[in-house]
Amino acid sequence: MNPTAITVATTFAPFLAFAVALLFFMKRPVLAKAIVLLGGLVSVVGSLMLLAGGPREPVRFLWFASGDVALRFGFLYDGLSLSFGAVVAVITFCIQVYSIGYMAHDPAKTRFFAMLGLFGWAMLGFVYSVDLLQAFIFWELVGLASFFLIGFWYEKPSAAAAAKKAFIMTRVGDVGLFIGILIILNSVGIFDIPALLDPETGLRAALSPGMLTIVMLLIFVGIMGKSAQFPLHTWLPDAMEGPTPVSALLHSATMVAAGVYLFARLNPLFMASETTLLTVLYISTFTAILSSTVAMVERDIKKVLAYSSISQLGFMLMALAAGGFFAGVFHLITHALFKALLFLCAGSYIHHLETNDMEEIGRRGGRKMRWTTVGLVIGGGALAGIPPLAGFFSKEEIFAALSHRGILIFQAGAFAAAFLTAYYTFRMIFLILLPARTEEPAHAHGHGNDSPLPMLAPIMLLTLAAAGVGFGGGWLARLLDVEREHHAITSMLPAIGIVLAGVALAWWDFGRRAATRTGFITAVKPLHTLFTNKWYVDAFYANVVARLTDMLAGLLQTVENKGFDDSFDGAARGVVETGSFTAKLQSGWVQSYAAVAIAMMSILGIYLGLR
Amino acid sequence: MTLTAFLLAGLLLFTLGLTTVLSRRNQIAILVGIELMMSAASLNFLAFNRFVAPDPAVGQIVALVIIGLAAAEVSIFLSILMVVYRAHHGITVEEIRELKG
Repeated sequence: MNPTAITVATTFAPFLAFAVALLFFMKRPVLAKAIVLLGGLVSVVGSLMLLAGGPREPVRFLWFASGDVALRFGFLYDGLSLSFGAVVAVITFCIQVYSIGYMAHDPAKTRFFAMLGLFGWAMLGFVYSVDLLQAFIFWELVGLASFFLIGFWYEKPSAAAAAKKAFIMTRVGDVGLFIGILIILNSVGIFDIPALLDPETGLRAALSPGMLTIVMLLIFVGIMGKSAQFPLHTWLPDAMEGPTPVSALLHSATMVAAGVYLFARLNPLFMASETTLLTVLYISTFTAILSSTVAMVERDIKKVLAYSSISQLGFMLMALAAGGFFAGVFHLITHALFKALLFLCAGSYIHHLETNDMEEIGRRGGRKMRWTTVGLVIGGGALAGIPPLAGFFSKEEIFAALSHRGILIFQAGAFAAAFLTAYYTFRMIFLILLPARTEEPAHAHGHGNDSPLPMLAPIMLLTLAAAGVGFGGGWLARLLDVEREHHAITSMLPAIGIVLAGVALAWWDFGRRAATRTGFITAVKPLHTLFTNKWYVDAFYANVVARLTDMLAGLLQTVENKGFDDSFDGAARGVVETGSFTAKLQSGWVQSYAAVAIAMMSILGIYLGLR
Repeated sequence: MTLTAFLLAGLLLFTLGLTTVLSRRNQIAILVGIELMMSAASLNFLAFNRFVAPDPAVGQIVALVIIGLAAAEVSIFLSILMVVYRAHHGITVEEIRELKG
C-alpha cells in the first residue's frame, strides 16, 4: 500500500473519530466510544505498517506559496518519527481501552473519548511533520487538546485553574518558539526540516553562530514550556487534576514528550550551538534534581509520578544535550511505556480504592489488586532503572553519553537524580506494598479484587513492554541509523550501585518492619520544608510574578483611565463648549444675518473692485 | 438726462430698500424694501441699456424678467407669511426667533 495513504489514515483516523463522535454521537456514548477506539486501532495498525516499511524519503504537498515562501505539509519517515509514532499510537490506544473502564460512570464520556481522539491526531500529526510550521501547528493543537482534557471536569474550580495554568505556561514557552520560527523564516525562508538540518545549505550555513544560538535558545524556551523544564514546570503537577488516563497520556507519549521530540528532531542544529547545549544541560540537570526531591516528599501517588515525569524529561534533555542522541530517544520511548504503565496502575488504585494518598492505598489493601501491583512493581523498577527492565538500559545510555561529554557536574547531577529516582519510586512501592497496618477495604469500588478487564488488559500489555523493551536498543539504534557502542558490564556497575543504594535507603526508611515511614529527609528540617513547598516556585509565581503583573496592570489601568480616557473626554468636552459658545452668535434675528451678509458682500465687492 | 442721474436715482432707491429691510420689524415692510431694491436693479439695467449697450432689447428683457421674478417672489413670501402668522399670531421679526442659539 502507498505509505502516504497509510500516514494520512494513521494521523487523520483519530481526528475523524473525534469529529464524528462530537457531531453525531453526543447522546450515544457507546457508539462514540466504539468509533474513537476504531480510530485508535487504525492509527496503531497504520503506524506499525509504516514502522515495518522502514525509513524512506519524505513526502511533501504544497499548501500555499506566497512570493519566495512556500508552505508545505508532508510526512517525514525516518527512524525517529517511525518508532516514536508507533509508540504514540500504541499508548494512545491502550489508554483509550483503559478509559472504557475508568470513565465507565462519567456522564460526559462522549466528550472525553472525542478529546482523546483529538489528542491522538494532534500528536501523531506532530510526530510525522516534515515542516517546522506544520509541526508548530500540531504542537499547538497538542496543547489545546491537553487543555480540554486537563480541564475535563471543568465544574471543579481546581481543574479549570489547572487547565488554564497548563495552557498559559506552555504558551509562555511557545512565544519563544514562535519567535525562533519567525527568525528562521526571515533568514532562510524555508521551514522544511530536512532542508534546515542540511549542513551545507541549511540553517547553520545561513545564520551566524551567534544568531543560531539565539534561535536555538528561543526554540528551547518552547521545549521548556512543553516538556516542563524549570522554571516553566509547575503546570505539570497541577495537570493531575484531569482524569488519570489523561495524566497517563499527557506524561508519557504526548504533550511533554513533544518538547523532547522536537529537540531530537532538530538535534544537529542544537549540536552546532555550544552555548545552547550548556544552557540545556544546566537547566535539565537542575530540573531533574529539583523534581526528584519534590517527589520524595509528596504523598499523592499522581503527584509523585508527575514530578518523576519532570525529572525523567530532564534526563532525556540532558542526554540529548550531551550529544547522546540515541540515549535521549531511547529513554523517551522507554519512559513513555513505563510511565504510561505507572499512571494506569495509579488510576487503577484510585478507581478501585478511591484515594490518591499512597499510605491510604496501602492501608486499604492495594497490594491485593494483583495485576495492578505487578504492573506497579515492574513499572517502578523500570523507572528506577533496575536491570533488566526498560529504564535500566536507557539510563545506562544516558550515563554513557554524559561521561563522553565529560563534565563532572552533570555526571554527578545525573547520578544524584538517578539515586533519588530509585529512592522515591521504591518509597511509593513500599508504601503501597508494605503498609504499617491494613484495614478491610470498606468501600471498595465495584466487585472483585482488581479493576475490570478493560483497565487490566492495557496494564498487562504495558507491563510486558516495560519489562522487555529495553532489549530493543540495538534494533532502535539500527532504525535511527546511529552507532551504538557496546557497554562493558563493569562500566554499568556504578549506575547499578547507585540505583541499588536508592532502593536500599527506601527500604530502610519505608520497607523494613521497624521503619519510621517518614523518610530520611525529615531529619534535615530546612530541606524538608523546601521540598514539601516545591522549592517555592509556585509561591514565587503567586507572590512575585502575579503581584508584579497586577502592579503593571494597575499602572496600565491608571494610564488608560487618567491618560487616554481623560484626554478623550477632555477633547469631547472642549468641542461641546466651543459649540455652545459659538451658538451664542446665532441671535435668531433674521435682520442681523442679513446685515452681516451684506457687510461681507460689500467688503468682498470693495476688495474685488480695488484689486 | 445723463447716465449718472439714472444711476444716482437707482442708488437712492437701493439704499432706501436696504434701509427698510434692515430696520423695519414688520415683514410686509421688509418685503416692500426688497421690492424697492429690485426696482433699483431694474432701473440700472434700463439705464445701462439706454446709454451703453448697442443692442436695445437685452436690458428691457432683463427688466421684464425681474418684474416676473418679483411677482413670483411676492406670492411665495406672502404665502409663507400666512403660515407664519397662523403659527405665531404675528409677523414681526422679533416673534420669529426660534433659531436663537
